[in-house]
Amino acid sequence: MALPGSLGRLPANRALVSHCTHHHITVFLLTFFSYSLLHASRKTFSNVKVSISSQWTPSYLNNTALELQPYELWNSNHLFPNAEEATLFLGTLDTIFLFSYAVGLFVSGIVGDRLNLRWVLSFGMCSSALVVFFFGTLTEWLHFYNKWFYCCLWVVNGLLQSTGWPCVVAVMGNWFGKAGRGFVFGLWSACASVGNILGAFLASCVLKYGYEYAFLVTASVQFAGGVIVFFGLLISPKEVGLPELGTDEEGSAEEDANRPLMDDNDADDDDCNYSIQATDTDNQPKAIGFFQACCLPGVVLYSLAYACLKLVNYSFFFWLPFYLSNNFGWKEAEADQLSIWYDVGGIIGGTIQGLISDVLQKRAPVLAISLLFAVGSLFGYSRSPNSKPINAVIMAITGFFIGGPSNMISSAISADLGRQDLVKGSSEALATVTGIVDGTGSIGAAVGQYLVSLIQENLGWMWVFYFFILMTSSTVLFISPLIVREIRLLLHERYPRMLAG
Amino acid sequence: MGGRLLPLPLLPPLLLLPLLLPLLPRAGGAGGTVCGCCAGPLHNGSAVARYCASRADAEPRGRCCVAGGPHPGRIVGLDLSRCSLRSLPPGLPEAAAAVVVDLTENPLTALPNASFLGFTRLQSLAVPLSLECPGGSSAWEQVTTHGSSRLCQGQRNPCNSSGELAQLCPENALCAPDGPGLSQCLCSSPFHGYKCLREGAFPVLLFCGILGAVTAALSLLLWSTQRRKAKAP
Repeated sequence: MALPGSLGRLPANRALVSHCTHHHITVFLLTFFSYSLLHASRKTFSNVKVSISSQWTPSYLNNTALELQPYELWNSNHLFPNAEEATLFLGTLDTIFLFSYAVGLFVSGIVGDRLNLRWVLSFGMCSSALVVFFFGTLTEWLHFYNKWFYCCLWVVNGLLQSTGWPCVVAVMGNWFGKAGRGFVFGLWSACASVGNILGAFLASCVLKYGYEYAFLVTASVQFAGGVIVFFGLLISPKEVGLPELGTDEEGSAEEDANRPLMDDNDADDDDCNYSIQATDTDNQPKAIGFFQACCLPGVVLYSLAYACLKLVNYSFFFWLPFYLSNNFGWKEAEADQLSIWYDVGGIIGGTIQGLISDVLQKRAPVLAISLLFAVGSLFGYSRSPNSKPINAVIMAITGFFIGGPSNMISSAISADLGRQDLVKGSSEALATVTGIVDGTGSIGAAVGQYLVSLIQENLGWMWVFYFFILMTSSTVLFISPLIVREIRLLLHERYPRMLAG
Repeated sequence: MGGRLLPLPLLPPLLLLPLLLPLLPRAGGAGGTVCGCCAGPLHNGSAVARYCASRADAEPRGRCCVAGGPHPGRIVGLDLSRCSLRSLPPGLPEAAAAVVVDLTENPLTALPNASFLGFTRLQSLAVPLSLECPGGSSAWEQVTTHGSSRLCQGQRNPCNSSGELAQLCPENALCAPDGPGLSQCLCSSPFHGYKCLREGAFPVLLFCGILGAVTAALSLLLWSTQRRKAKAP
């Protein structure tokens, strides 16, 4: 299947393999673990909630006549009168974090495109590690407990953590071309799940020394990650003189963004590319503005679609263990373990659907079909019998059809949108676009957490699932103009391709 | 910052100190104020004077019997009889290590339950006849009356009794006596810290060493293989 523009081009996947240098592998691993570490510190927070709330409260006794002695050991901390209020406050911190994270995504994408991505990512990781250290470790060492101080730190943490995603996606988008992007990004999206597992593991290992050490360990590892990123990350192939993705395409007429950007430059092309790169350094690509980025075709629609989809996806992350223990009466630890299957389904779904979309060179139709199946699997999951194996299987299937598209929009499609022809070569838009898509999605997720708890309390779990189905359908609705456009392009493309072949 | 981080391994035990301090028998410094709160020396022939005379390492000081030896200055006996006390003196906790206490012939109206908190060594307490022994008679081995005084002798351990006084301690803590009829919950061996939530000591040096070494090695490796060749943008 030769592609338009050049007869000698290799098929997409072979081109990917033949150009996979050790730089590619290092970049893949560095960005993967950078985001994993950021996610791990979030997971740590949710895993030490019980310890923190007991540190913040006096001992609860049903018999108030007999107070536990000595006072200093059992009752000296009065940040909250009881564990319920502490839990409520911790939930508020989660919401604060999600909102400031969403706001931060819009900003840090813009910043990332204007400054060096490596500096921004490294700064984000190290500074957010410091904030987590202040939040969890230093306040405990100094016995300084203050609600407002905690809130402020968590707002700052949300803003700093948000630098991670746009930067890592932008770097990955620079290195991995559109040809294999669906597959590579699908695999790469496992970083969030790996981060969750890593965070849970680190926290459980050191929690017995005190919750402050759980924060200390994750923060230190994240800080170390930031240092390693600073010394090791190459943000773009042109930094080492490798051909920049798509540099040789500037002359050729392009009708859409759906061409593989990874090309089969031979070794002897390197000099030529080097000279292109050298001239590039003189006129630095100008970063795109926020509103310009919003006006890029597909950005707004995909953002809205992702807001709906991330709402469903995050609700599954946050509420699934609670639903399982609430609805089926399963133990919390078992429910926690079982809910991993949703992640597994999401990773497999993202990878396979990404691969299919690479072969088709169209992402929207794959998304749409997957989301239609998702509606069915949500319906099926809401009627799952009280059996762990059956539930796990349906959960994995639901993860496959919901988590898969969700991973694809937030990574591969964001990268496609930021590197489409309209911006290529002339400006940097990758991080900005990723920030917009993921920021809108995070706002959806934050609002969703509120709505789910509201619906569940007033109408019951079944309506929560109807709400999920509604949101999934809205996602399909938002991307439908893109489906129409992409299918039309797919049909259009046949004609010149037949000529070329 | 570096200065603050340096004594890291010392920090947890240091922070524990304020928690542990009240658990130590409260030594009343050099005699303490409680010994002078009432004029005059020990009454000749009183229980406290007899006890003081029987101990070779102790000597009377004001109304107290103060020990020398391994714990110099510790109040081991306190005689506050005939002091016109209407309530217990605020300095009473200074004498928490006392073995013999005499409160007789005072117009005391009540002994609050927690007055003798921490008096774990108290063996003999004399109170006016109108008052009960602190903690109730069930907290003592033997309660006798002599003229106008009531003598409470030999504390019972509230943790051993299977009665209503037996207090259940939270996880990781064990019951320990804390004065007549009073008990406290102390962290059992490997546990420490607020509410005994912490176990063992975090290997700070080991962790910092490994993390630092790995970070340095990876940074060096990646710098030499990746960024060394990078051109400044």
